[in-house]
Amino acid sequence: MASAPPPNPITIEEGWEKEILPKAILPLERILNEGLQDRQRRDLFGPREYVHIYTICYNMCTQRNPFNWSEPLYQKHNETISDYLTRTVLPSLRNHHKEYLLVEVKRRWENHKIMNEWMRKFFMYLDRYYVKHNNLTSLHVSGIKFFKEQVYDVVKPDVVQAMLAMINLEREGQVIDRALIKSCVEIFETMGDQKECYKEDLEETLLSDTREYYAKKSQGWIETDSTPAYLLKAEAALEEEKARVANYLNAETEEKLLKVVIEELLEKQETTLLEREGSGCAMLLTNDKYEDLSRMYRLFSRVPSGLLPMAKIVQAHIERMGNEVINQREARMHEEGEKDTNQDPNFVKALLSLHDKFVGVVNAQFEKNSLFHKALKEAFVEFVNKDVGKFKNADLLSSFCDRILKKGGEKLGDAEVENHLEKVVNLFTYLTDKDLFAEIYRNQLAKRLLNARSSSDDWEKLMIGKLKHRCGAQFTGKMEGMLNDLAVGADHQKEFLEYLKDKATEASASSSSVPLLGGKMAPDDFSVKVLTTGYWPSYTQLDVRLPDEMLRCTQAFKAWYDLKNSRRRLAWQHSLGSATLRAKYGSKTYDLQTNTLQAVLLLSFQSDEESLGLSTLKERLNVPTEQMKPLLHSLSCGRYKILKKQPASDKIKETDTFTINPSFSCPQRVIRIPMATIEESHNPNRIEEDRSIAIEAAIVRIMKARKVLTHQQLTSEVLSQLAFFRPNPKVVKQRIHALIDREYLERDENPNQYKYLA
Amino acid sequence: MGDKAKGAESGKVVHLVSQEGDQYEVEVSVCKMSELVKTMLPDDDDSSETQEIPLPNVKNNVLAKVIEFCKHHKEDPMNDIEKPLKSANMHEVVQDWYANFVNVDQELLFELILAANYMDIKPLLDLTCATVASMIKGKTPEEIRRTFNITNDFTPEEEAQVREENKWCEVRVAD
Repeated sequence: MASAPPPNPITIEEGWEKEILPKAILPLERILNEGLQDRQRRDLFGPREYVHIYTICYNMCTQRNPFNWSEPLYQKHNETISDYLTRTVLPSLRNHHKEYLLVEVKRRWENHKIMNEWMRKFFMYLDRYYVKHNNLTSLHVSGIKFFKEQVYDVVKPDVVQAMLAMINLEREGQVIDRALIKSCVEIFETMGDQKECYKEDLEETLLSDTREYYAKKSQGWIETDSTPAYLLKAEAALEEEKARVANYLNAETEEKLLKVVIEELLEKQETTLLEREGSGCAMLLTNDKYEDLSRMYRLFSRVPSGLLPMAKIVQAHIERMGNEVINQREARMHEEGEKDTNQDPNFVKALLSLHDKFVGVVNAQFEKNSLFHKALKEAFVEFVNKDVGKFKNADLLSSFCDRILKKGGEKLGDAEVENHLEKVVNLFTYLTDKDLFAEIYRNQLAKRLLNARSSSDDWEKLMIGKLKHRCGAQFTGKMEGMLNDLAVGADHQKEFLEYLKDKATEASASSSSVPLLGGKMAPDDFSVKVLTTGYWPSYTQLDVRLPDEMLRCTQAFKAWYDLKNSRRRLAWQHSLGSATLRAKYGSKTYDLQTNTLQAVLLLSFQSDEESLGLSTLKERLNVPTEQMKPLLHSLSCGRYKILKKQPASDKIKETDTFTINPSFSCPQRVIRIPMATIEESHNPNRIEEDRSIAIEAAIVRIMKARKVLTHQQLTSEVLSQLAFFRPNPKVVKQRIHALIDREYLERDENPNQYKYLA
Repeated sequence: MGDKAKGAESGKVVHLVSQEGDQYEVEVSVCKMSELVKTMLPDDDDSSETQEIPLPNVKNNVLAKVIEFCKHHKEDPMNDIEKPLKSANMHEVVQDWYANFVNVDQELLFELILAANYMDIKPLLDLTCATVASMIKGKTPEEIRRTFNITNDFTPEEEAQVREENKWCEVRVAD
């Protein structure tokens, strides 16, 4: 090359003994041994001193062979660091123990970082070519490696123990030098490329030590503390450990450390804590310890499947509370002799408030967790379906709705009505026999609507809407049909009146002498509600012989209705109708509000003196005896004795005779004469029939889709499809047999299997 | 970089001292291109005194050239040099300024290589080495010897052996 080599190459001895060792290494070691401030570190070697050493090294490494000293310099670099560590650093650590050991380790590590950095800078030129070309360990990494092998590996057990001792002191409430621990943690993090030293040398021991520490703690706490007090301590411990990681450990440790604490403090003691008598979960529920319950939930939600046992206790508790409500109802009937009726608002209200309370707890304390929702639901399903006495809870719930929705029932404001209905519907969803509820509800709805007792159309719609929302349109179709019948009916009534008016004009034009409605009846005196069969409950049909006036009215309506709907057949349900009769007793006049049958009966007396036997009346009215008896009872044995019975008594006998009571008197002018309903509140047979139909429909639907199924498969599918009641598997079997008889299904060659016949 | 930050940095200077002892005032941001100089500059320099950095291996004329390179590089950084060299003409390898920059006599060129290596300025080392490579590219050994004024100190036997060992290389050149 053009540039000539320096005239006098430096020898290794010259370079090392006269330059590098005295001017770089020895001053560096001296300063490290004497200790130094931050400011000094940077200015340890000024540019002049530093460039001198760098240039010496550079020149020694760029001289042509045999004067190229790269290899010996690389070795000198390593030896220098290695020797310093074994001769100076390690002995100094041997004299220190516990916290002092940590202080010394920290100091020596800081020093090592400085030394390593300066050594790297001095010999920087080596890293650029010599190290690269020979695939050697870089200067910096070598320096760290020496520290690890010659210092770290030797002292780490003592260092770890000292650190853990300090950590345990802090756990006991002492103030420790956190910065010191943090510095030591940093050493563990720096050793090894992937934090493996931190994990294997420090973290593992820390975790097992922590486990031991909290195992001991929990033993002590569980003996002396109540569950809430224990949980407070556990929560605080978790907070402290979390803060500990943030203060001086590696962030990756947090999850592992907390897991250990959770296992020791919570998981292993879970059963004891939850079931502890006097302060366990059930006790907290009993005493409404909401804050403690929240804490319990928060803590056990951190234990894997830790909420399940808690949810079970909650479920059992709600069940116990619910059964208490059921038992109170039973006690009121049996011990206090309360009448067994389908009206028990206090019972329903007790269930509602129980539900309110625990919905509140599940939402607020248990953060709407699905496990607790399930627990609540299952508990309520358990006791809401426990019927006491003659009336099923489905009946009581429906009757409670009836009280809310009818005039003069529960006294509630508008917002409360909606609120109560919502709550009742929530309870309703727990009922197994939803179809029974629907049947009873429909009967009561029919009564409210037909007797004009419903306090608001909007509320009726609201309630039906809620049921529809929960159970689907199929469930409420009939109820909606009922409301619709009446809405349409109002329009029809208008049309009918128009028709009557037209007829009347026609009649007067043709001067026909027969008035359309007969007697003194005006068109407005008469109205008809047309009910669609199927929507409404089925009623016993009575072919009552009507007095002439009424007959004319019905005929007039029928004539109009046939004109309008030629394909529909009208059947008159007189037992549902009502009438107002004006009665004159001398100077006094009364308006008697009766049902149609009562009115027909009273009108069948042709004079005030006529005395008629039951059988004669029966013939005149064409009403069977079993309906005659309550009818006569309501007029002769009730509060208003319009008829006089011979002989006077509280029961109707076939031999009794009746006359108009001439001495009847009453302070009011308008009198409503009540009558016990002839109809049952609902027809249990009808429910059975409906259920049979529903089961058969489900069977056919399933078999049509699946073609071949075993008996067990079919039964379980049927049970899962039927949402409104839960049939007995025996009943399902009967329905299957019935369908085989009707050739919807047949048995397969395999006798336990059915085939669908298209 | 915003103007303000640029201004703040451009205000800071150091004195580079040549072999002969002459001082060259250079902005910190410029001379940081040298890894050697950078090593001596603290990251968080808050002292107001101007650092003196001796560079005993670099002569005046070379140092001036190095500083010229660094200043220009800061304004218009040199393109990366593709390897293998795509042309023996440096104007086709780097921007014109850089091609002109290395259009110097051989002695200065080699001094620049040594200075770039000593001061650890990678782009300058790349540029100067590529220039030497461009001078070799496509030449026979005899031409190369002439170019660099090298006396053939091989014995004929030695030369034959070297040729034999590097046969693969000649075949490629022949392509």
